[in-house]
Amino acid sequence: MRASKWIGLCVCSLLAAPCFAQSFAELAKADPSNWFSYSGSFGGQRFSALRQIDTGNVDRLGVKWIFHVGRAQELEGVPVVAGGVMYVSQPNEVVALDARSGRMIWRYQRSTRNGGHNRGVAVYDQKVFVGTTDAYLVALDARTGNVIWETRMPGNSPRYQGGAPLAVNHKVIAGLYSTSGSVVAYDSDTGKVLWQWNAIPHPGEPGSETWKGVDAWKFGGGPTWLTGTYDPDLNLLYWGTGQANPDFIGDRRPGDNLYSECVVALDADTGKLKWYFQFTPHDVHDWDSVEIPILLDASYEGHPRKLLVEANRNGYYYVIDRTNGKFLHGAPFVHSLTWADGLTPEGRPIVVPGKEPTLTGNVVCPPTQGATNWPSPSYDPETHAFYLIATEGCSINYRGSENFQPTSVSSNGTGYIESPNEGQRWQNYVRALDALSGKLIWEYKQIGSNHYGPGLMSTAGGLVFAGDNQGVLTALDARAGKPLWHFSTGEKITASPMAYSVDGQEYIGLISGPNVIVFGLAGSQ
Amino acid sequence: MRNALVLALIFAAACFAQKPAGTKNPFAGDEKAVAEGRELYNHTCTDCHGYDGTPGEMAPGLGASGRRFLRTTDQEIFDAIRNGIPGTAMPRTGLDETSAWKVAAYIRSLRGTAIDAPAPGNPAHGEQIFWGKGQCGQCHMIRGQGGLIGPDLTNVAGRRKLYSIRDALTRPEHTVTTDGGSHEIHLTPLGTYRAVHVVTRDGKTIAGVLLNEDNFSVQMLGTDNRLHLFSRAELRQVNYDAHSLMPTDYDKRLTPEEFQDLMAFLTRLGTHE
Repeated sequence: MRASKWIGLCVCSLLAAPCFAQSFAELAKADPSNWFSYSGSFGGQRFSALRQIDTGNVDRLGVKWIFHVGRAQELEGVPVVAGGVMYVSQPNEVVALDARSGRMIWRYQRSTRNGGHNRGVAVYDQKVFVGTTDAYLVALDARTGNVIWETRMPGNSPRYQGGAPLAVNHKVIAGLYSTSGSVVAYDSDTGKVLWQWNAIPHPGEPGSETWKGVDAWKFGGGPTWLTGTYDPDLNLLYWGTGQANPDFIGDRRPGDNLYSECVVALDADTGKLKWYFQFTPHDVHDWDSVEIPILLDASYEGHPRKLLVEANRNGYYYVIDRTNGKFLHGAPFVHSLTWADGLTPEGRPIVVPGKEPTLTGNVVCPPTQGATNWPSPSYDPETHAFYLIATEGCSINYRGSENFQPTSVSSNGTGYIESPNEGQRWQNYVRALDALSGKLIWEYKQIGSNHYGPGLMSTAGGLVFAGDNQGVLTALDARAGKPLWHFSTGEKITASPMAYSVDGQEYIGLISGPNVIVFGLAGSQ
Repeated sequence: MRNALVLALIFAAACFAQKPAGTKNPFAGDEKAVAEGRELYNHTCTDCHGYDGTPGEMAPGLGASGRRFLRTTDQEIFDAIRNGIPGTAMPRTGLDETSAWKVAAYIRSLRGTAIDAPAPGNPAHGEQIFWGKGQCGQCHMIRGQGGLIGPDLTNVAGRRKLYSIRDALTRPEHTVTTDGGSHEIHLTPLGTYRAVHVVTRDGKTIAGVLLNEDNFSVQMLGTDNRLHLFSRAELRQVNYDAHSLMPTDYDKRLTPEEFQDLMAFLTRLGTHE
C-alpha cells in the first residue's frame, strides 16, 4: 500500500521552490533573475537588469562553481536559467543544474550518430525544448528531463543547424535547412508543426523574380541557423537568413536572390511574411545575415519609434523601423570595408565593381568571416549603446572554376583565406556604438583574438562582459570601455556570457570550451 | 563456368564459417526458468565469476556490454557449463542437464534487454493494469504521459533486463548492478530515486526523492512534483527513508494473470539501444 501513502503526500509545498511554469506574460516581462532564452529576452538585447555586480565591486568577482560537460569540446550554447535551474546543452544532450551549486539534477541524452552543432535550448511552460542533429525537436519535462514529445522536422532530409529554439506564445520557433533555409513553428504542447516559412521562393511565388538564372533557385540558400527575436506587441518574429547558393559565384543566379541575406518579419501565428529588408543583395562573399536583430524603442528624429538595429556581417550597422521594414539609417562600423561605397537612401549597398571572388583570389574587406558574426551583440538601454565584437581585416576570396556548374545545394563555389597582407590580418575589438547613429563611442582591442570571438552581455551594473577566443573573460566599463576585471578560463570561449540571480545573489555564467563557469561576488553564497 | 566455381567456393566458405546452432535451449524465453537460472548461477558460479554476471575475482563477466563473447549459441553455453572449457580454468560445474539449461538461459538473458525476449502475456491488458489497478502511471511516465516521481519507463525494456523489471516489481530494496566494467567518469545525477524527507530551518517538511547531493547541497524532486534545491545550511534535517517509494509486492497485489500481463506490457516498452 506504500504507493497510496506516497501518492497521498502530494501536497503543495509552501516553501519557495523552482517555478518552471513560465507563462507567456512572464516570458515577455523578462524577470532578470532568469535568463530564459538564447538572447535573454524576446528583444535580443542581451542586457541584464541585475545591478548587484557593478563597476565598484566587479574586482571581487570569483568563481563559484564549474561544471564540466562530459565529452564536449567547444560548446557554443548559452546557458538558460529559469527558477534557479540552469539548462546547458551540447549536441543531443541537455543537462539541468542547480544554478546555485552547479550540481546536476538530470541529464537527457539522445542516441544518434549524426554530428552537428547546438547553441542552446528554450524553456516555456515547464518544458525545455532542444533540437537534435537527427532533425527532431524534442520537448523535455523541465523537472525530470522526461521526453514529453518529439517531432521530426519537416521537409526532405531536414538538417537542424543548431540555433537555439525560441519559445513564444504556445509555440516553439526554430530554424531548419532542407533544400533551403526555413523557419518552422511547432505547437509547444503537442509538437505539431503549425507553419513553415521558406526563405527561397519557388517559381511564381513572390520573390522568385529575383532569381533570373535557369533553375537557379533550386540550389537554395537562405539558411536560418541563428535564433531570431520577437515583438509580443506586434506579434512579429524577426529572423535572419544567410547567403544564396553557391556562396561565392553569382553568375548563374542573376538578381537579388530573395530572401537570402535578409532580416524577415514573420507573423508568429501564421508564418506570413510581413516585410523584409535585404542587407546584401546578390551576395557573393558569404556574408550570412543571421546576426541577432536587436529590438529597441527610442525617440528617433523626434518621434517615438519601434526600431530594429543590427550590425551586419557585411560591415554596416543598420537602423530599421520594425513595424514596416523601412530603412532609416546605416553606417559602417569597421574601417576595413572595400566592397561598397556607402548605402542608398533605401539602404541598398552601392557596390564597388571588381571585388568578386576570382580564380587567383581577390581581396575583399571585411573578410568572409565577417566584420562581425554569430557571437551576439548587446544593447544597454541605460547607456543607449550597442556593443559588438567587430573584426577588422580582409580575406582573399576564390572561385572554383571559370564555368562553375553547381551540382548540389551544398556547392559553395570555393572559399576564402585570411589575407596575409600588411594591415589586412584579422583583429577583434569590442566596440560601443551609439545605437541610433552607429557612431563609435569607444573600442577595446582584444589582443591575440582574431577569429569570430564570443558574444557580449551588458548589465545594469554598468558593465559589459566580453569573452575572447584566447579564453579570457573581461568586464569592461560600459561607458568608457576600460577593463575592470578579467579571468583566464583556460579554454577557448565560443559562446556568450549571461547573468541570473538566485535568492538575491547575482551570478555571471559563461561556457568556455567544455566547461560551464559561474562567477559571483566574493563573500556571497 | 568460372563464375559458378567462385560462387560455389563462396557458398562453401560461408557454410564452413557458420556455427552449428546445436540444440535450442528448452527454456528459451521462459521468464521463470531464467529467474531460477539466475539463482543457480549466483549460488554455483560466483566463486570465480561475479554476482549477476559481472566480472569476478577469477573469471570474466558473462553479460558485460562491449565484450565479444566466443560462446554465443545455446549449445555452446550449455556445453561450457556441463563440460567446462578445456585449456582454461573453467571446470565442469556438476549441474544437472535441466539446471545447466536454465543457467544457459539466464546467461543468454544477460546479453540483451527485455525487448529482445519480451515476457508472454497480454500487453494490452497489461497497459490497463499500468494505468489502472497497478497505479504505476501515478509515479512513472510513458511517452510524455504519467507521473514524475519515478523513472520514465518509455524505454525501460530497451535498457533493463527482464529479470530486472520483475525484481523492481517484486523484490524489496532490490538494486540494479552494472556490468562492473564501466565507470561513469563524469558527474551524473544519482539515478537511484532514494526516498528522502528534509526539514528546513523554519520547520517545514518536504518529502520526495533524492536527485543529487553533496556535502553542501541537496537536490530533490518533491512529492508535490516540484524541484527543491537546497543548500545544506538551509536544512535542519535530511532524513533518508528506509524504503523506496516503489511498491514491491505487485506479485501479491495483482493476480498472477494481471502480473504476467503487466510484465508483457513493460517488457515491450522501448527500442533496441
